[in-house]
Amino acid sequence: MSFEVLLFGPYADAAGARSVSVEAGEDGAVRAGALLAAIGEQVPALRPLLGGARLAVNNRFAESDDEVNASDEIALVGLVGGG
Amino acid sequence: MSVQVLIERGALAPMPSHGWPGAGAVLCFEGVIRPEEGDRRIDAIEYEVYRPMAERVLESLARQAKEAHGLLAVRVWHSEGRVPVGACSFRLEVASAHRAEGLAAMGWFIDAMKRDAPIWKRICEADSPQRAAP
Repeated sequence: MSFEVLLFGPYADAAGARSVSVEAGEDGAVRAGALLAAIGEQVPALRPLLGGARLAVNNRFAESDDEVNASDEIALVGLVGGG
Repeated sequence: MSVQVLIERGALAPMPSHGWPGAGAVLCFEGVIRPEEGDRRIDAIEYEVYRPMAERVLESLARQAKEAHGLLAVRVWHSEGRVPVGACSFRLEVASAHRAEGLAAMGWFIDAMKRDAPIWKRICEADSPQRAAP
């Protein structure tokens, strides 16, 4: 199943795109931790930047065991610099 | 409104503080763009904001700060887009009965924001804008 992950900041710069499509899970769902691992496996440009990264699902941080559906809004959040 | 979050394009305009009933302390922190980032001279910082989540996160943190520290009110402003050197990109206003809880809440909020808010910054040097090192 294909999951679209929104990218911002250094992630977007590294990937050269505002989002990436990642194949993961079965039956349209995957655990957040597994999806994050899949991003590292399938998008080499992002691999060095994933330490400390978290997935946001529908504008909330997801725990590793949280279920993520392909229809959710998913974003890679980390390396932030607000304030 | 005792908790308010505003994300605005560009530099934040100066605002007077509200008079919060019961407040013995109204504290305001403003983050201002410095002319150097590390050893580099810069012109500005550009903020990229994942807006729907940033608003949610900042409001959540503000409510947590208000509840945990017994505050009367919290207001948060953050810039989106380009902010030049010398201008304000972040403002936190806290009203409390006494200064101790306000000061503690400010420190907590800013640390939490820097950890969790989906806001990224790009350093704008005179000739080559580049992403700030994390």
